[in-house]
Amino acid sequence: MRKLLMVRYGEIYLKGLNRPYFLKALVKRVKEAAKPFGGQVWLHDARIFISDAQDLEGCMARVSKVFGVHSIAPAIEMEKDNFEGICEQANELMQGLTGTFKVEARRADKHYFLTSPQINMQVGEYVLMRNEDHLKVDVRKPEHILSIEIRDQAYLYCTVYPAVGGMPVGTGGKAALLLSGGIDSPVAGYMIAKRGVQLVAVHYHSFPYTSEFAKQKVLDLAKILSEYCCGLKVYVVPFTDIQMQIHEKCPEDYTTLIMRRYMMRIAERIAQKEEAMALITGESIGQVASQTMEALITTNEVVKTMPVYRPLIGFDKIDIMEYARKIGTYETSILPYEDCCTVFTPRHPATKPKIALIEKGESQLDQETLIQTAIENAEIVEL
Amino acid sequence: MSIYLDNSATTRVCPQAVEAMADCMRNEFYNPSALYAPALHAQQRMRACRDAILKAVHAPMGAKALFVSGGTEADNLVIFGRAAKVRSGKVLFSAGEHPAVKEACQVCGLEPVEMPYDHRGIVDLEKLSGLLSSDVTLVCCMQVNNETGAIQPLKEISLLIKEKASYAHFHVDGVQGFLRVPFDMTACGADTYALSGHKIHGPKGIGALVMGPRVQLNPRQVGGGQEGQLRSGTENTPGIAGLLAAIEAFPRENNIRENKLLLWRLIQEAVPEAAVNGPAPASDVSAPHILNVSLPPVRSETMLHALEGEGVYVGMGSACSSFKQRVSPVLKAMNTPQKYAETALRFSLSPENTAEEMRETVAVIQRQYAVLSKFQRR
Repeated sequence: MRKLLMVRYGEIYLKGLNRPYFLKALVKRVKEAAKPFGGQVWLHDARIFISDAQDLEGCMARVSKVFGVHSIAPAIEMEKDNFEGICEQANELMQGLTGTFKVEARRADKHYFLTSPQINMQVGEYVLMRNEDHLKVDVRKPEHILSIEIRDQAYLYCTVYPAVGGMPVGTGGKAALLLSGGIDSPVAGYMIAKRGVQLVAVHYHSFPYTSEFAKQKVLDLAKILSEYCCGLKVYVVPFTDIQMQIHEKCPEDYTTLIMRRYMMRIAERIAQKEEAMALITGESIGQVASQTMEALITTNEVVKTMPVYRPLIGFDKIDIMEYARKIGTYETSILPYEDCCTVFTPRHPATKPKIALIEKGESQLDQETLIQTAIENAEIVEL
Repeated sequence: MSIYLDNSATTRVCPQAVEAMADCMRNEFYNPSALYAPALHAQQRMRACRDAILKAVHAPMGAKALFVSGGTEADNLVIFGRAAKVRSGKVLFSAGEHPAVKEACQVCGLEPVEMPYDHRGIVDLEKLSGLLSSDVTLVCCMQVNNETGAIQPLKEISLLIKEKASYAHFHVDGVQGFLRVPFDMTACGADTYALSGHKIHGPKGIGALVMGPRVQLNPRQVGGGQEGQLRSGTENTPGIAGLLAAIEAFPRENNIRENKLLLWRLIQEAVPEAAVNGPAPASDVSAPHILNVSLPPVRSETMLHALEGEGVYVGMGSACSSFKQRVSPVLKAMNTPQKYAETALRFSLSPENTAEEMRETVAVIQRQYAVLSKFQRR
């Protein structure tokens, strides 16, 4: 008999002939997550098992963040032929609980000497007789479900913890995330990564208009994301020169949009270099002046070789904040070392921009040199 | 290159203090309350430190020095301790007090009243006179303002208190002034005086409250009854050893004022738009170590980070509150125009700084200003 974690996967069930490919990727990710805890990981009978982890709770918390994992149950594995032992173990599991319960047996081994209903009844009776003062049976809406799975061994568990779901990272390709220090972009990155996409992050740093604290905050956000994304490479791109030149040479109302266009162009180049297939932004229609439909057209059109995914496009700010809280980035996102670059913020940014004016402004800039220099001087941080 | 000009935030611990603390931790680690001989040494070291503090502030006969964790605790102990004792009345505090005083005054249960500043950041005595009355039970004023370096007219305030609110307790927050600006507690007539170790090249986590002979406070922390029942808890003997060493090592003769005046002269030459916030740097109401300068139109944070990029570290207002508010409440209390308030930087010097460092600093300021001043919000 030993304690282990029984990990179930979700959407991969729906896969047909491709399923082994996805399963292999998932097992690899679960192995990476369990490694720091010394856990042994194997796939058997449509379940992933983790044994020998030093800190079972810590290991479970870590594995529950692996995309592709649907739920995790701390389970007890024992000899299935010793039915008396199973009953005793079931009794031990249920002793501390109060309220209503039922036993739910599942028999993958169809040659087992009892059927599932027989197991339910016999184990149920055994437990009830010994805990009558605090447990009652309710087969319709029980407060606790004692699960017994009969496979090569018997597995008993009564609590199933939900995990993040999604698809294993790496099975969905690669994309570049424009990561600011705000609330939205980490959420956007999370949503796309959850679909199995590996991320590379691009952050624009405007020292001395933004500080080392602001940069560290972004790296802290990236670190939180990296736990879900199985590591994250962050490009910290120096952006001050570009902002200064835009401020000097372009019409005031358009400075933010032109800046956004430069951000998109640089991100596209980095994405190409990283063999990524798309850009991801945290934009949402109408949230700020540069995110009106008209403004989005102008920032979208500079990206020529790949799609731009905006998973938050229809979200209200309040919903995004809720999501950020759920994934654990909110508290870091709202830390106050934000930009002191109001110098570069127009008082009345264009909400219905004219592309001709943008292009006229941009024609004053040496685009290629600015972009090349920024990329060459980018600092790469691997998390 | 690294030039540290944020000594009002904290200072580098001097080698003498490091040595004294290491020795205390290694060899004289005994609990001063213990009954065997080595504990006596620990007590003697504490007594030596108390004596050094009392001497440094010219404390009156019968005054005591109480060890606490730092300036904030000392201020809180007086304000809450006094409020618990008198239970009613008004507490007056100057408009630019450190939050350790201001916040405590606002929640201590007494009626908080602000003493206004004049345009130099100095308590307006005429207005103060109008605020004082017999129902004032506590008056708090800093010796030196932490942002502008303005030296407050403590003696005059004390005389006004004696005249109009003789029952009031007069507390002086000396965290920014201790050792850098002469202080005579006896002549000034203050009842309590707070100081902190880490502002004078001592360690963090140690400070003291000097209490005049007749002062009565209620404790904020109870337990073993240390520090005359007022501050229970095993004494921070390494901190006390470090504080004593720092007080002894602090050079009473130094070049801080000369260097500050040099810095200001060079800044004026390099950036004609520069303006001082607070009293004129050469005047006798300006502390020798603090220079608050605005460099419009470059915003404080931007210039701070630009200087940081070249290894020059300065402050903007009070470091404790840099992340909280945009415009400093001290500058606001002085009615500083927005243009200057949002471009203010604080240079705070220590005896360790050199004239050469002042020149290098200004060279960096000039270089950065030339670039950054071109970019203003349009």
